[in-house]
Amino acid sequence: MTDVRVYITGMGLVSPAGCGVSKTRDAIRRGEKKIRPLSLFSVSQDNRLPVGEVSESIETGGVPRTHQLALIAAKEAMAQCKDVPDAVVMGVTTGGMLSTERCLKAGDTNPESFKYHSTGSVAEHIAHEFRCYGPAITISTACSSGAVAIKIALEMLRTGRARMVLAGGADSLSRFTYYGFRALQLIDPEGARPLDKKRRGMSVAEGAAVLVLTACEDVPDNAIAEILGVGLSCDAHHPSAPHPEGAGALQAMKAAIRDAHISVAEIDYINLHGTGTIDNDLSEARALNTLFPDKKPLMSSIKGAFGHLLGAAGAMEAIVSALAVSENLIPANVGCDVPDPKLRLDPLMAPLETANVQTVLSNSFGFGGNNASVVIGSPNRVRPSVRLKGLSSFSVLGSACLTGAGNTEMSLERISGGKSCKGMVPAPVITEGLSPKVIRRLKRLPRLTLSLASAAHANSGLPDAPSSVFFGTGWGALSETYDFLTKLFESEEQFTSPIDFIGSVHNAPAGHVAIQFGSVGPNITTAGGDYSFEQALMLAGLMAKDIDDTLFVIGSDESHGVLSGLFDRSVRTDDTLSDGGGGLCLRRSESSAGLRTSVTFYENSKNNPSVISSLIVNLAGEEGIREKYGAILAGIPAGCRGRGEEQLRDFLSLSGFEGPVIDYRRFTGEFASASAVASVLAIRFVDRRELPGGLCGGETVYLRGKGILLIGLGDFVTATEVIH
Amino acid sequence: MEEAVKILINELKIKIIDTLNFEDITPDDIVEHHQLVGGELGIDSIDILELVMMIDKDYGIKIDNKELGEKVFASLTSLANFIYENSKSVAN
Repeated sequence: MTDVRVYITGMGLVSPAGCGVSKTRDAIRRGEKKIRPLSLFSVSQDNRLPVGEVSESIETGGVPRTHQLALIAAKEAMAQCKDVPDAVVMGVTTGGMLSTERCLKAGDTNPESFKYHSTGSVAEHIAHEFRCYGPAITISTACSSGAVAIKIALEMLRTGRARMVLAGGADSLSRFTYYGFRALQLIDPEGARPLDKKRRGMSVAEGAAVLVLTACEDVPDNAIAEILGVGLSCDAHHPSAPHPEGAGALQAMKAAIRDAHISVAEIDYINLHGTGTIDNDLSEARALNTLFPDKKPLMSSIKGAFGHLLGAAGAMEAIVSALAVSENLIPANVGCDVPDPKLRLDPLMAPLETANVQTVLSNSFGFGGNNASVVIGSPNRVRPSVRLKGLSSFSVLGSACLTGAGNTEMSLERISGGKSCKGMVPAPVITEGLSPKVIRRLKRLPRLTLSLASAAHANSGLPDAPSSVFFGTGWGALSETYDFLTKLFESEEQFTSPIDFIGSVHNAPAGHVAIQFGSVGPNITTAGGDYSFEQALMLAGLMAKDIDDTLFVIGSDESHGVLSGLFDRSVRTDDTLSDGGGGLCLRRSESSAGLRTSVTFYENSKNNPSVISSLIVNLAGEEGIREKYGAILAGIPAGCRGRGEEQLRDFLSLSGFEGPVIDYRRFTGEFASASAVASVLAIRFVDRRELPGGLCGGETVYLRGKGILLIGLGDFVTATEVIH
Repeated sequence: MEEAVKILINELKIKIIDTLNFEDITPDDIVEHHQLVGGELGIDSIDILELVMMIDKDYGIKIDNKELGEKVFASLTSLANFIYENSKSVAN
């Protein structure tokens, strides 16, 4: 692979300073504070806390505010670009929550009102606008989402999966996050004062930041800055509090510096995570004092000026870092009057425009201990040539699933007999083998996920725990979300549950897996509707070089009596509520021996009329398909069954495939991560080298050394192979 | 100890078990003078915030800063005394 370098060639930003990168740049130049009392929605007088709100009027045009903020930023980023992006990667934590909570409070039961609820729908909205054929990926790792999205885009570009990617993050203010952080007593009533002696917390904010990232061998004329590297880590310490010594933060910064092939001494400026909470700033300071024991680079947090943009924060700070290298503009640490001596840091008290900034390190850390550090450099900076490794595949060490029938063995038995596994996973099956102490605070989704991780690990027989976790969920923790909002509304917005708030973030289940197994490597949660598990598996493949040996890839979704039907159009078509998921324990492998799995295709069918032809070409044509695969498991979400069945017919007629084709949702029931169950089934069948007769009309089908192809159909078309 | 505080302690034991979802613990397992946070029950800072919310809701008393919280939640006895003292002033 050649030395591909990744440049920022376009930027778009909506922040509390207003719409457009220039508004934020001007506010930084003047050292302004943009945090003001909340006005977007009404709260009782004694509740009115300062926030970072986009004060310009935002016409939402039928989509939730987050989607519109994201679109405004994306349009600005793409203003000078005529090409179609190959992929969209967005970091989002609450999606359409501002609209959802309003509708739920009003007792609205029309599913149309919730069709943009999912975090994944923001990336899809942008992909639709720019007619993007490729994947629309959603990263939901709480407050590091925007930075992790940049990492994924970087690896797509480095590995040649894309030439141009739109990457960023977006979140609007919502009652959910406003009251959630308030319940955690993490909001500073005076407005965030990062690193200040008197700091008492953060200010919740909103906005969107989108970058056009382009892969080039030579510096393009429109290069603003270069993404040199991104490092990820997980604290594996606590669901919401950072590691007291900043161990995970330090590990992420070191990984970023390694990934960028630079030395610590080359960093000129650090854009701090610097939320203003007592614990975050202390933990980050300890990590920085370890990394820079003597002379420290210039540093500041912009969260005292603009607040914490949650899912957009990491992407906004990448833009601010790009401005630092392109315009030598370093922001002041607004809000800090007297730096806390305990931190032993020296934040910039006024904006600086005279320093020569070549290299910036930008930190973003989140709930679940999900840490990301981004290294951004001047495009003209001299850097040694770096040859990057290509994609690795994964060998399957262990697998496990949960369905309405029960655990893996129970599910296999039912499915092998051609019987349905529909229904909700029985509660005693989920908690079997899990310590009551560990699951005391966990509701259905984190329990399902922990149970899958434990069973997949047990099935692998590995003595050690996997170091990384990739988790896909269509809808996240619905029980926690529902309970949080119900308590809030019942008490007239007075009381709610901090435990439910922490548990409601999409990445909470993956965080619990990390804590349970001590997995301190990259920990990524994807939320791409019916394709969330495929996103998680694909990202694991992209990140292979950052993974230390073994990893978990898990997909799970819970069924919720009220929310599942409102949110998921596929769930509404079935009389039986179903849930469950699948977990894999994998090892990075360069060899082609043993049982292996990978995602080989992921395209947007709405924007690509010839998606099935592309799929067949990707799978090496009719002959390639016939030679490699002995059976197909097709995932057709009921919500797009007509389109999915047509796609399957096209695929079968164009590929001439004559082996068994199993429409697996008829057995698993309707839930977003049904494909994770199907992956586990495929692994077990390929391992046994046969497909049970009950599934294919009576006779056992012998695979004769061939693998199984899992095809995801509907709004996106995906291909995942399980081969020997 | 005043009788009212004793009653409050017993009431709080049940509320703590309920609020923090202790399925395998009975009121007798909670010893009122034992350390509440980081003790044998495994109560941590998030649990404390959940209890803060419960106390605000059920007793109308706010505990909205860390320093006060650390003092009040030292043990169940200190918590009961704090609620008792503050509900007296609310009542008066």
